[in-house]
Amino acid sequence: MSGLPTFLNPLTALLAAGMVVPPLLLLYFLKLRRREQQVASTLLWRKAIVDLQVNAPFQRLRRNLLLLLQLLLLLLLCLALARPVVHYTPSPGKNTVILIDHSASMSAVETFGAANTSRLEEAKRQARNLVDAMGKDDRAMVISCDDSAQIELPFTTDPQRLKTAINAIEPTDRASRLKTAYKLADAQTAFNPEQLRSGEMDLPNVYLFSDGRVLDAGELRLRGNLFFTPIGSSDLPNVAVVALSAKRNYERPAEVQAFARLANYGPDPVEADVELRVNGEVRGEATGELGCFLYPERWDQAQRDNYQKIPGHLPHKNSVTFPKIEIFSAAVISVRQIPRGPDALAADDIAYVVVPPPKSLSVLLVTDGDYFVEKAINSMSLKHPDILSPAAYEDDPKLGHPITYDVIIFDRYQPRWLPPVGNFMHFGSIPDGLPVVAVKEQGQNVMLSRPGVLDWERDHPILRGLMLNRLFINEAIKFQIPLPAAVQVLMQGYKGPLMVLCRQDRCTHLLVGFDVVNQSDWPMRLSFPVFMHNALEFLALGADMDVRLSYAPGSTPRIPRVNLQQAGVPDRIRQIKLDGPMGRKTLTVSEEGGDFVLPALDKVGVYSLDPPIPQFEKIAVSLLDANESNLMPQTLAPGGIGQTATGRGKAPWELWWWIIAAAGLPLLMIEWWIYTRRMHL
Amino acid sequence: MPTAPIKKHELLLDSSFMARLDQLDVMSRKILAGKMKGERRSKRRGQSVEFADYRNYVIGDDLRFIDWNIYGRLDKLFLKLFLEEEDLSLYILADVSKSCDYGDPSKAMYIKKVAAALGYIGLVNYNRVSIVAMAEGIVAETGAMRGRKRVAQMIDFVSQLQPTGASHFTESCRRFALAHRQKGVCVILSDFFIKEGFEDGLRYVAGGKYDLFAVQVLSPQEINPDLQGDLKLRDIEDNDMAEVSITQPLIKQYKSNLNAYCLALKDYLTRRGATYLFSSTAVPFDTLVMNYLRERGLLG
Repeated sequence: MSGLPTFLNPLTALLAAGMVVPPLLLLYFLKLRRREQQVASTLLWRKAIVDLQVNAPFQRLRRNLLLLLQLLLLLLLCLALARPVVHYTPSPGKNTVILIDHSASMSAVETFGAANTSRLEEAKRQARNLVDAMGKDDRAMVISCDDSAQIELPFTTDPQRLKTAINAIEPTDRASRLKTAYKLADAQTAFNPEQLRSGEMDLPNVYLFSDGRVLDAGELRLRGNLFFTPIGSSDLPNVAVVALSAKRNYERPAEVQAFARLANYGPDPVEADVELRVNGEVRGEATGELGCFLYPERWDQAQRDNYQKIPGHLPHKNSVTFPKIEIFSAAVISVRQIPRGPDALAADDIAYVVVPPPKSLSVLLVTDGDYFVEKAINSMSLKHPDILSPAAYEDDPKLGHPITYDVIIFDRYQPRWLPPVGNFMHFGSIPDGLPVVAVKEQGQNVMLSRPGVLDWERDHPILRGLMLNRLFINEAIKFQIPLPAAVQVLMQGYKGPLMVLCRQDRCTHLLVGFDVVNQSDWPMRLSFPVFMHNALEFLALGADMDVRLSYAPGSTPRIPRVNLQQAGVPDRIRQIKLDGPMGRKTLTVSEEGGDFVLPALDKVGVYSLDPPIPQFEKIAVSLLDANESNLMPQTLAPGGIGQTATGRGKAPWELWWWIIAAAGLPLLMIEWWIYTRRMHL
Repeated sequence: MPTAPIKKHELLLDSSFMARLDQLDVMSRKILAGKMKGERRSKRRGQSVEFADYRNYVIGDDLRFIDWNIYGRLDKLFLKLFLEEEDLSLYILADVSKSCDYGDPSKAMYIKKVAAALGYIGLVNYNRVSIVAMAEGIVAETGAMRGRKRVAQMIDFVSQLQPTGASHFTESCRRFALAHRQKGVCVILSDFFIKEGFEDGLRYVAGGKYDLFAVQVLSPQEINPDLQGDLKLRDIEDNDMAEVSITQPLIKQYKSNLNAYCLALKDYLTRRGATYLFSSTAVPFDTLVMNYLRERGLLG
């Protein structure tokens, strides 16, 4: 037990003392009501009284002794009313699982007691307290958890080993998920299914030290008894970069524009300056009036409106668009919010984007002649706008391996072979082997006559900003989609899909079900060159034109074997060095196998590979996680499982009944004894 | 504690006890001169069968009392002198103050019974018996009585005595001593709880002409008080109040004081040739009369 007792109910105690002590004193000092008793003579009684007066001090003491004892008894009862408690660490139990959250939010620094430390350190300290409270034969294990879980130490009765394992837990920048940790806890604890069936359970005690900000609260299951110790306070200031994107202008590939969005998870509005760096060099700033003024995310709309109404208060501004920057090579763009006040979490103050080198697309058009499509691709600043006839395409062996073109456009031609890897556009044809097939009748494609455009994916990068409702289509291939999960319909006609996007293995196919030149008026419309531009951009760069090339902490980037091969790995080079915020690691690549998976990148920052692997020369890891940046701890156990422990792993121990039993009753007996001794003849 | 009023003709002595008392007589350690010829040796020399002394013959003396044996030896004439047989005065001083109206058994009744017993013994042995009731002075007195025929009168007198008034022991003893100059046996029956002190009163009766027997009678409640709590003790005689909180030390001190008081009384009496006897009303009065008073030499 440690610490002086505190009182849960001091006012009640004071009130009770004020009510009962004065009357007791009054009773003792008021003239006693004496019963009249007749005696033959008071001669000897008076003499006895006088003689006893010789020992007056002792008599006074004897009389007052009862008063003192009764006062003491009253005060003890008042003390019990005050509900004194001491906080002590109870024994955790026979089988204990210690779960320590070391996700990004646990790196927040705040004041615990008299010291400024991180939440993780506080969690470890409380976990060590728990270990100290273990009984001699109690077992415990240590599991660290963030978005996964790891057993730091299996069950042991050695407290020293447990503390060493606890101390060794390092912070990460990863998100929080407890599902795996709970499953580990259940799996590792030795319980007897027979006991469960008979109703006799000896379930383990699971102690979770966390701020409770988990993403999978609704999916948690645990058989043991969970005790959740919330770590952290709810009024920490924290401004975070929650979104960052950068985009090259493919008309002018050297231009890059960056966008950043911030969020304030503290209790009060704050101002934040934002700084943009390219390869470490400051290339842009948003400070002062150009910076952000952030209302707290926890405010509702009414609070925001009320705040803004006050004269002198700035409106909410949480995003920054930096001016276009010319970057002529691959670069790492970082955006950092510079707090003007304290900021509890550093990991979310900066975000990175790796911008690939400016690159002109190499496009191959396979056509028998298409003025409009040729016009469209020739108008773009493409590296290789090659045009081949279908026959030449079929005969060209260079198209196999390695990949030569970023996009191959098949105009009204169904290729008999396709490169194993690549991005393809198909106008008016569907190659074999795709999740989309043309409906045929008697070996011929079924055509939809004047299908009309019913709807299109207005938010999709390929069709964003385009008006297609008046597009005239004379006829289009009728699509059949056996596997809808693998296909995304981009344009829907009244009679069926008109444009779909599907992926298969390492290929991306954009299927336009009609001959844009001969069966539609699309080339005459302004939307067509924009469509061509967007489509080529999308196919060449991946799923999102506003590329977020930043991985989440804990990600394990997968490097395609093709990329490795481009760097001569593992033919000439068997090892890759990974440098970054986690230090240097040497990775060995096997000769056989498919893609190569990097180890989990737990910390925010920029990692580099040596030798450089195409498209993976630099790997950016940014937090960009609203849940982790929101540092408000949960007060209840995640998912409603278990109970919340109070304090620093300590439980309150109420003393009131001890006061009554151990002190009050003996005192009462002593007082009774003294009273009866007075009366004893 | 006060007792029920004593009935006027309550029998103090039953006939069987009186028969036992016939065997007794009042004794005196001192040979005292009485007024009449009783059944008592007196210091006076008179005519009796008991030789007392010689004196020289003087012309005119009775020749029958000449001791011729001495004449034959000494050739001188001596006259025999004989002890005179005289009656004994028995004074019974009974304390009838209010303080005796206390106790269970009642001190007053006890004193009256003893007084009646002693009076009976004195009367049947032809002693001169006087019973004096003391309280605020002498409140009642029988006068000198002799003979068996006075027994009924004596018992009637004693029966009618009622505890009354405060105790003025000194004044009572003084008046008694002045009114009764005849020597004799004086028995004081009292609790001797005298606030003015017993010394002054006893000085009148102790030593000298009286063969004094002081019988202190106390009730068990006075010897071992059964009191508890916080009390206001009221003196039954003068309504004096004493506030006490009964504790064991107080009881102990009271008993110690009682013991010391009794010892002081005994010592005072003993120094003056008187006899002290302590009795509790718990002791049957016949035991007191038949045993203790005989042992102490008052009765024989």
